[in-house]
Amino acid sequence: MNWEALDLSILGPAFLAGLLVLSTHVPLGRTVLQRGIIFIDLAIAQIAGLGVIAADNFGWEAEGWQVQISAVTAALLGAILLHWTERRFEKIQEPLIGISFVLAATMGLIMLANNPHGGEHLKELLVGQILWVSYAQLWPLAIVSAAVLAVWFYFDVPKLHRLGFYVLFAITVTASVQLVGVYLVFASLIIPALTTRMSLGHKRLLFAYLIGALGYAIGLAASALLDLPSGAVIVWTMAILGILYALIFGINSQQTEVKH
Amino acid sequence: MILLNKLRNKLVIGALIMASQGAMANLNIFTCEPEWESLVKEIGGDKVEVFSATTGLQDPHHIQARPSLIAKVRKVDMVVCTGAELEIGWLPLLIRRAANPKIQEAGPGYFMATQYARILGRPKTLDRSQGDVHAAGNPHIQTNPKNILPVAKALTVRMTALDPENGQLYQNNLDDFEQRWKQALDGWKKLTQPLKNLPIVVYHASWIYLEDYLKLERVDSLEDKPGVPPTSGHLAEILNKMKTHPAKVIIYAAYQDGRPAQWLSEQTGIPLVKLPFTIGGTDEAKDLFSLYDDTFNRLLKTVTP
Repeated sequence: MNWEALDLSILGPAFLAGLLVLSTHVPLGRTVLQRGIIFIDLAIAQIAGLGVIAADNFGWEAEGWQVQISAVTAALLGAILLHWTERRFEKIQEPLIGISFVLAATMGLIMLANNPHGGEHLKELLVGQILWVSYAQLWPLAIVSAAVLAVWFYFDVPKLHRLGFYVLFAITVTASVQLVGVYLVFASLIIPALTTRMSLGHKRLLFAYLIGALGYAIGLAASALLDLPSGAVIVWTMAILGILYALIFGINSQQTEVKH
Repeated sequence: MILLNKLRNKLVIGALIMASQGAMANLNIFTCEPEWESLVKEIGGDKVEVFSATTGLQDPHHIQARPSLIAKVRKVDMVVCTGAELEIGWLPLLIRRAANPKIQEAGPGYFMATQYARILGRPKTLDRSQGDVHAAGNPHIQTNPKNILPVAKALTVRMTALDPENGQLYQNNLDDFEQRWKQALDGWKKLTQPLKNLPIVVYHASWIYLEDYLKLERVDSLEDKPGVPPTSGHLAEILNKMKTHPAKVIIYAAYQDGRPAQWLSEQTGIPLVKLPFTIGGTDEAKDLFSLYDDTFNRLLKTVTP
């Protein structure tokens, strides 16, 4: 056991980053599940990565704002494309998303064939490490999250605007994947929403947030105590909590549904 | 009364143990790679507490963030790393997150070994078409045993500045190490005579200091440009070259993926040798001395049947 690493100043920024990611990903995840487009986050993150490679080819600084603009622009173009395919080929949207993921990933390899430095930038974007996050870096994510949530609930995006959904999704994923990496983005999006699907309305949202937040809190503490990589331990903690919740409450509500 | 005496004895012993522990670890040092951990132990003996962030089987370019790393860096008096952009992907982030004033860049607690060695592979012009060439030159200085002594001397000066109380002890340890190291260098010089001009193929440009030390002849590198996976055209070129100008051995580091080197070995019948690269890379490489013993023995096996 490694008690000295259990320090709020070490784990605090990471936990806050996790809460910010959850704030948008839990509601987005419900819609993603509903539409059966689970892998859209991987595809969008990979397409944002293409934007980063392009920025590097233009010779822009890795830390500069141009790279962020370039990543968001690529992600938005990807979102618009996926919105179009959903309207045009609704029944095969899921495989099309899968194909866009491999096409974006391999296009990255082709564009990087002569440029390993660009590869490092791409890696930084896709495998952001939650522990390196500082409080100062959280401000942009906090502002983006607040704006996305305001638009999301004010306009009731999941019901009304399909294009709106894709646009908000692209912005959210591009902002969060750089801080916490693609594994945590995927887990935060899918696990809370999936394991609470038997619960209804506000209760579902509340428990989904709770599973996510406990997953980050316990996962971070466990990674400190056991001296293991934080991102991976959080994903596992969240999955275990989600399964426990589904076993205890999911089955109950299923039974009550049957009784009615 | 007896009980009280026992209690008092325990307290005294406890205080003595605490005092001696305090005296034992005068300097708390964080190293990035195991070769520097070993060197710090040689100079510091039991006056330092030292920890290495990576093991011999990890790629020092990339590591996964763990909370304990931040906790450790927060407490240390000094970081000892390779530098020359080897750890650029994680060390600056780690130092920033730990916010420890003792180890800020350019301060006395920030020691980069490559500043004390003659750096090879520094590009004349920095052009991204050359591949993963770092402006600071090739950082893998630990593959040449001659680079260790200058680093050891500079490290002793730095440790003395941070802990003057034990300066004499560090100097004595250095003198002792220097004597043993020079002896070892003499031994290796004789031992490695048969390796002179040995034609080799490497996977990645990790070995230029070893090539320089042993006067090996690098026929080719599987990676045409460092960090860029080989294209089929380059592989065909190597296979052709092996017919006219065969290498004796294909070298790769223990932490690297052996498959590309394995492929070339199967295609050409040239023997494949895994080298430790650093301490812990192989079971035999346990400290700085055995690291080079094992490296040279593994190479010698390919020339002496």
